[in-house]
Amino acid sequence: MAEHVALEVPATPDALGVVRMVLGGLGAQLDFSLEQLDDLFLASERLLRAALAAESPDRLQLDAEVDGPCLRVTVGPFFSAGLRERVACSRGRCLDLCTLLRGTLDEVAVEPRGEGFAVVMVKRAGSGGR
Amino acid sequence: MSDHGGHTLDDPLGLGPLPGADGAFPPDEAFPPEEEEVGEEPFAPAGPQADAEGRGRAESDKLDQYLLRRYHLHGDRKAREQLITMYMPLVRSLARRYAARGEHFDDLVQVGAIGLIKAIDRFDLDRGVELTTYATPNIVGEIKRYFRDKGWSVRVPRGLQELNIRLNKVIDELVPQLRRSPTIKELAEAANATPEEVLEALETSQAYNSVSLQSTMNGENEDEAMLMDYLGDEDEEFEVVEDRAALAPGFQKLPPRERRILHLRFFEGLTQSQIAERIGISQMHVSRLIRRSLERLREEIGDIERPSPPGGDGRGPDDGDHRDDEGTT
Repeated sequence: MAEHVALEVPATPDALGVVRMVLGGLGAQLDFSLEQLDDLFLASERLLRAALAAESPDRLQLDAEVDGPCLRVTVGPFFSAGLRERVACSRGRCLDLCTLLRGTLDEVAVEPRGEGFAVVMVKRAGSGGR
Repeated sequence: MSDHGGHTLDDPLGLGPLPGADGAFPPDEAFPPEEEEVGEEPFAPAGPQADAEGRGRAESDKLDQYLLRRYHLHGDRKAREQLITMYMPLVRSLARRYAARGEHFDDLVQVGAIGLIKAIDRFDLDRGVELTTYATPNIVGEIKRYFRDKGWSVRVPRGLQELNIRLNKVIDELVPQLRRSPTIKELAEAANATPEEVLEALETSQAYNSVSLQSTMNGENEDEAMLMDYLGDEDEEFEVVEDRAALAPGFQKLPPRERRILHLRFFEGLTQSQIAERIGISQMHVSRLIRRSLERLREEIGDIERPSPPGGDGRGPDDGDHRDDEGTT
């Protein structure tokens, strides 16, 4: 059975430390390299900071699931169309949020969740430092 | 300033007499323009005369004494400036010893320079010691004080601080051994700690680095110092990268090496380890530089790409807000 952690933290930059610790623990189980963890931390931090700037939510919800060699992290729901666009679309030749997420994760997707959407980030063990 | 009126002044450079009874100073040309400093290990004062004419240690000491006398006895600020310039390689050499502890190398150089200036200002001509001997503990003391006062922005237990420092060394050892980035378990084993402790210690490094992330950088100076320390082989693609990077206003504010690292990481798809190998620095250092430059870009973009007026383009209140975009390449 896949290990699943549901986390809800105050929507403040300080809470990023808790997120890192949880993701780090799960990543360590999957034998992620330090570099892979660093990529995962960078991606989740940038996404959450962007969400804080776009929506000013009170709480952040995060689900992390170990699925075979993959760590699948779902963050949301979010409701900002601008945030959605920035996650899903790169403006080209631009180190924007989309490019950064794609450069650090194995998969990034936007999925409907209620009236909003969630961002799904997948990091795979053994995928190098991508 | 002390009174040393009875000294016989040596003139090792043949620059002419110091102001004495006749009050005459050598002309400005007596201090030739400073040349770029080279050669930091082992330390030798970087002076144009010392480099150009291959003077030995004894002659350097004579030059030190000469300049110190000019400054302390006659208030010659140029002599003071020249001493500072000559001894900056010593500062950099000492700062490098502490650079692996998470602080920016350039920050440490600046702090060390304060120690050097204090040493020059407080130097006692009558004590008969060399400036190097006197300045070294002053510089190191200033750097240590900086670490003590500012290194950890959040109070972190000493055990975790020590583990963090130990981990930095372990990582540096393991990466070349394994030829890849180590896992948490491998780090834990090598550092004689549990994986949980390793994660916790790595998390503390966020607190350790936060001062550096916020600190002001000095653009060219910083890059110059870093390049001198860490630059590896030439990369023929660098010119191309430079051309592309030059298109981006945010990127232009970054030092060339950081532009190059971001480009390689996010547009060429190289891993941190691959970048580290190509540039000749550690993977951890690449990681720190990526975070630092992204943070800096975010600050720059905040000024360059202002949010659109709410509803101005009909897309919604936050659609024009690109505050977290990192830059353009």
